[in-house]
Amino acid sequence: MKRLLALAAQALPSVIALAGALVVSGLIVWVSGHSPWLALSAVVEGAFGSADSLSEVCVKTCPLLLCGLAVAVSFRAGVWNIGVEGQLLLGALAMAALGRQVGPLPAAGALAFDLGAAALAGAAWAGIAAVLKLRRNVSEVISTIMLNFVALLFISYLVQGPLMETGGRYPQTDALADGLMLPRLFAGHRVHLGLVVAVLAAAALQFVLFRTVAGFEMRAAGANPQAARLAGINVDRRLLLALMLSGALAGLAGGIEVSGVTRRLYERFSPGWGFTGIAVGLLGRLSPAGVVVAALFFGALDAGSNAMQRVAGVSSVLVSVIQATVILFLVTLERARWFQPQAGPEA
Amino acid sequence: MAVLSVRGVSKRFGALQALAAVDLDFHAGEIHAVLGENGAGKSTLMHVLAGMLRPDGGTVLLDGHPVGFASPGAARAAGIGMVHQHFTLIEALTVAENLVLSLPGQTGWRFDRDATTAEAQALAAHVGLALSPGNQPVHTLPVGARQRLEILKALAGGGRVLILDEPTAVLTPAEVQHLFGMLRELRAQGRAIIFITHKLREVRAVADRVTIMRRGRVITTVGVDEISERGMAEQMVGEVLPPTRQTRHAPADTAEALSVDGIGVTDARGVAALTDVGFRVRAGEIFGIAGVDGNGQRELFEVLVGLRAPHAGHVSVGGRTLSTFSPRAAHHAGIGHIPPDRHREGLALTLSVAENFLLNRRVLDRFGRGGILQTAAARQLAARLTEQYAIQLASLDTPVQSLSGGNQQRVIVARELAERPRVLVTVNPTRGLDVHAARAVADALVAVAEGGCAIVLISTDLDEVLELADRLSVLARGRLSEPLEPPIDAERLGLLMAGAAG
Repeated sequence: MKRLLALAAQALPSVIALAGALVVSGLIVWVSGHSPWLALSAVVEGAFGSADSLSEVCVKTCPLLLCGLAVAVSFRAGVWNIGVEGQLLLGALAMAALGRQVGPLPAAGALAFDLGAAALAGAAWAGIAAVLKLRRNVSEVISTIMLNFVALLFISYLVQGPLMETGGRYPQTDALADGLMLPRLFAGHRVHLGLVVAVLAAAALQFVLFRTVAGFEMRAAGANPQAARLAGINVDRRLLLALMLSGALAGLAGGIEVSGVTRRLYERFSPGWGFTGIAVGLLGRLSPAGVVVAALFFGALDAGSNAMQRVAGVSSVLVSVIQATVILFLVTLERARWFQPQAGPEA
Repeated sequence: MAVLSVRGVSKRFGALQALAAVDLDFHAGEIHAVLGENGAGKSTLMHVLAGMLRPDGGTVLLDGHPVGFASPGAARAAGIGMVHQHFTLIEALTVAENLVLSLPGQTGWRFDRDATTAEAQALAAHVGLALSPGNQPVHTLPVGARQRLEILKALAGGGRVLILDEPTAVLTPAEVQHLFGMLRELRAQGRAIIFITHKLREVRAVADRVTIMRRGRVITTVGVDEISERGMAEQMVGEVLPPTRQTRHAPADTAEALSVDGIGVTDARGVAALTDVGFRVRAGEIFGIAGVDGNGQRELFEVLVGLRAPHAGHVSVGGRTLSTFSPRAAHHAGIGHIPPDRHREGLALTLSVAENFLLNRRVLDRFGRGGILQTAAARQLAARLTEQYAIQLASLDTPVQSLSGGNQQRVIVARELAERPRVLVTVNPTRGLDVHAARAVADALVAVAEGGCAIVLISTDLDEVLELADRLSVLARGRLSEPLEPPIDAERLGLLMAGAAG
């Protein structure tokens, strides 16, 4: 009972933010001359109406979940990784480039290897920002945002040049070799094994953050770097670890999306999962379990938005409005809630 | 008649009476030093004068008329300007642009660069401050020049009263001399200058009159010529009373737990912060380091806990010399610590109480063998410690920020003592605590010493040092005096605190 109450207290800001965001977007729908109720019921119907739509929700949830976890681990350590999008793209690139052939390993082994490479590529991309921060004191907010553009343009170049498909008709990579696609969980539905990987990643992150020394040290470094340093924690090394771990989760998201859904890498591969991941992470209160719920929510919103557009005539862009309002509400609530005890008057 | 007066001004922050019915007068053409320890109420009083705080009671009189400033801007427009210890300049802007922000009249949409530069130069010339307003951004200026710019800003509203809050803390000795020259010039122009400090030597060097404050009250206001540095030190720290508790019988024949030799530290300005500091502490002994804040206390703490590597000297624990200076090495050598600021350095406020018990390398290593946190065992320890130290809390899972100050401090004390350190370094351990909580922390320290731990008590609260320490030295201007043993000679102590003798 006590635990349940504590959980409720933790989730409260998210619930308020969500309710606020829904009210605001409902108002926008109403002002634009549509029925909020119709829109809402269309979203719900579109997301949960059938087995197939449920499967689509899961497909959308998968990258959001991994990106939300990426945000959670770095934000917990006080590292503001805004570059999840770019790290995701690098992971997708690694998967798409390596996965064109199966290679010497058995297919399952090759798939695992390539996904590992995707995670490493994301970690390495985040590592650039980490090194800049630790060596040159460059704010990771700036460097990770900028590296997003670098990744985007780099991939744009690759898919139109060196990695363009054989035959060269479209700016995209060759399709993955057959054995390298993640198996589907249910025949006839697109939901794939990647969802299981993502949920396992959430469980693993929960363990790392709350049951390992390194995880505690990351959280301590995030909560108060000075106290952590004085406690004998190597704060720099923990920041580096958190950022690379974050990049690895993002890279894995990209790799899984290629081998689970798209089979190829192309321009505009990501609709902004890395950015939505920030909303997912914050809405999930930076806790892995919370992130699972938040990712599911945004996944359902995403999957249901097409139905909303079709049935209620409300543009699916409204989803972005909801995401943005959630973040604004949460950030505002944080300010009000995380009341830092005042240091005594400087007399 | 006084330019600026305060009558019966009081200000309270929560439980702390920061100002208690203060009466003071400041005169034109006079440099008036306000002297006191940290927490004596100097800054609070100045913030009231400069319109940054509203007093709970009492009045501020300008030329004999009561005034109530709604904002620092209103105070400045009335001619009262303040130079803060931490500069309030915009570093990316030029000198002239910074000045504009303080000048009255620059409103509207258009920014006339030439006119404002001319105005800035005129102001600088009028005040007699050599300043090259040019188009240099402020961040390229040396600290001394930035301070001159701050002074200029403070004078922009006419500058009848200029308040300087510990202006010398950031300056090199040469810059201090320059500042003093400038202040004398401003005095000659008939301005009233209020100079806040806790450095006695500076009072003597530049002030005409001095007001000594202690615990929110004005103790005395006298001409600088009528009081010695020792007299000032005594007034500042209060009467040296014999310890209120029976001095413990410190074991005289125990092993030496900590020895510190020839420590030298240079601060960011290149000024020596510690010079040849050395002392020894035996197991079971409480060694006090008294002195006025800002005389090297922070640096000494940082060296002892491994945050800072000295350029000279070494630290040994139990006969073993520390080869590296890092918090990890210090913990492993057996040095625990109670940092001076529990919120800034002692606790991670948003983490739970149970987790805050882990913020110590040795505790963390004990429960983290193989990299996996033994959370159940760690909780057991946390539960045992909360009971042993009578820490009041709802649950071990509540964020430590929800605890009262006294309970937070007990969390730190309990944690640092959990691994039975050979040495405990503590800075102002009871500062900001209510009497009851302070008593509990003090009792805990004595109990720890009796358990065989060597305690280094660095404190600017003389009562605290006198009550707890078996022996004490005084840190003044980065040098440590020879240890004094009880009974402490009050006169000699005052002399040492004033830095008049070595």
